[in-house]
Amino acid sequence: MNRFKSSGATELGKFLLSRLLSLVPILFGTSLVAFFLVRLIPGDPVIALLGLEANDGAIAALRAKLALDQPLPVQYLAWLGHILTGDFGRSIQGGREVFPLLLNALGPTALLSLAALIVSLVIAIPAGIVAATRRDTAADYGASFAALCGLSMPSFWLGILLILTFSIALPILPASGYVSPLVDPLGFLSFLILPALTLGAALAAATMRMTRATMLEVLRSDYVRTARAKGVPWRRVVWRHAFRNAQIPIVTLLGIQMGQLLGGVVVTETVFSWPGIGKLTVDAIFARDYPVVQGAVLLTAVLFVLINLLTDLVYTLIDPRVGLA
Amino acid sequence: MSAVAPARPGSAFLSGILRDRRAALGCALVLLACLAALAAPLIAPFDPNDPDFAAILSPPSAVHLFGTDDLGRDTFSRVVYGARVSLFVGILSVAGALVAGTALGLIAGAFGELTDRLIMRVMDVIFAFPSILLALAITAVLGPSLSNAVLAIAVVNLPVFARIARAQTLVVRRLDFVEAQRALGFGPWTILFTTIMPNILAPIIVQGSLLFAAAIITESYLSFLGLGAQPPTPTWGNMLKNAIGFLDLAPWLAWFPGAAIFLTVLGFNLFGDALRDIFDPRNT
Repeated sequence: MNRFKSSGATELGKFLLSRLLSLVPILFGTSLVAFFLVRLIPGDPVIALLGLEANDGAIAALRAKLALDQPLPVQYLAWLGHILTGDFGRSIQGGREVFPLLLNALGPTALLSLAALIVSLVIAIPAGIVAATRRDTAADYGASFAALCGLSMPSFWLGILLILTFSIALPILPASGYVSPLVDPLGFLSFLILPALTLGAALAAATMRMTRATMLEVLRSDYVRTARAKGVPWRRVVWRHAFRNAQIPIVTLLGIQMGQLLGGVVVTETVFSWPGIGKLTVDAIFARDYPVVQGAVLLTAVLFVLINLLTDLVYTLIDPRVGLA
Repeated sequence: MSAVAPARPGSAFLSGILRDRRAALGCALVLLACLAALAAPLIAPFDPNDPDFAAILSPPSAVHLFGTDDLGRDTFSRVVYGARVSLFVGILSVAGALVAGTALGLIAGAFGELTDRLIMRVMDVIFAFPSILLALAITAVLGPSLSNAVLAIAVVNLPVFARIARAQTLVVRRLDFVEAQRALGFGPWTILFTTIMPNILAPIIVQGSLLFAAAIITESYLSFLGLGAQPPTPTWGNMLKNAIGFLDLAPWLAWFPGAAIFLTVLGFNLFGDALRDIFDPRNT
């Protein structure tokens, strides 16, 4: 028995190592994209990074720091060395360090993403189960069409419609803004509801379609038919037998969606003035604050890759049918 | 057993569309958007950029069906002309991604492991970015404009086509008729583009129809953020960006461009779903 356990642990270790190694070329590629992002801007990258009003001393110092008189590979290695020690440069606006700026913005983005995920699960799982268990009824058609509408609706338009309804027609929720949950938890919730609904609705559409499809497949399986033949009540068959087994692809989809949320927040945060990484990126683009743009793009891509890796691992661990090879 | 003549693909496709009510609705919505784009000068009652300072922020009426904006411009005319930008960006970006992605996927699948690895690792890197973020980064570097929005959307969709084309090429290149061409002495490029390519196109075209909807949404995001076509060119996205400032005074400015994006994307999604079902061999 122990022999099997230790062999399983070794397998898992090897799998983890191979997955981590497969990330190396992707992370190398994303770092190249972020590096060239500033180099491709027409003109001097030092001026792009410091702004037009930078003094000669600062320009000379940054030129030396970035090794701009050296060949490109040396420049890249110098830049990478700074990034790996958390030195993302300074924002052109206000001169603050970029890395703490990014970390501060990650908190609100994480809270909004989590809330959106909860909203999507609360809507999508019951709707998907009802659609599957009542296949080809009005409930199924209604839920499926609603999901298709959710997928077709640009999130910023849904956000605007929610503002029109709940902030202007029935003024019960604020249209935009943010307050830390540590300072004013109720105020935070009131600011959170509309952006979380906006972001959650698009996620709910995809999750509902996946829940319906997976439940339909599981409900057709032999063990569900056996459970029904044994006289197990329908409700119990759905929740204990079918839904438990349908969770695996849904968990995978949720992992993928967590990654997609990092993209989705860009527009939602802009509509609701939510001070997360998405709004920071958009503001930085318009201010031509390239150190912030570069840092935000790199950090978001790395997070996206890590979340996808985590999803892969969770999928492998919770479904014994998926091999570690 | 009686012999049955195989149905022509075109007629099977048409009957498939007509049988499925969702597909018919999708087709109708897509045709409506195409009609608006093609016949905009005939349909729009006003010049989309013509200001009328006597009719600023007028609500919908018989004269101005969708009301007017803060410069008195007719919102209906702007929505109709906006269809041109959305469809133009959708067609050009998806066609660009389809052609370049298919070519890269064909080359990756047919020319040995080193080429395959090199091309697919680059595709993996593009895939490693959330698509809207990469599109934003590209337009931020190149500058906001319609052509750069097209380029950005094409680049983020490139890996989708490359992956499908590569996977299909790996299967088709080992089939007997390809081996026969090789034995007859045809060169690798001839085999690739005259024999393999026509046999891998069906799933790529289906994916293209589904990505069209995504491309229209991405264009609207870029325009909404101010990184697409620049004013005064009317786009549905930049009309919504403008509407944000007048939500309490003129909510109609937000209703109609948003509804135009929603209905067009819904049409393409319904149409793409139907296309996938028709081409899915499990449904035959």
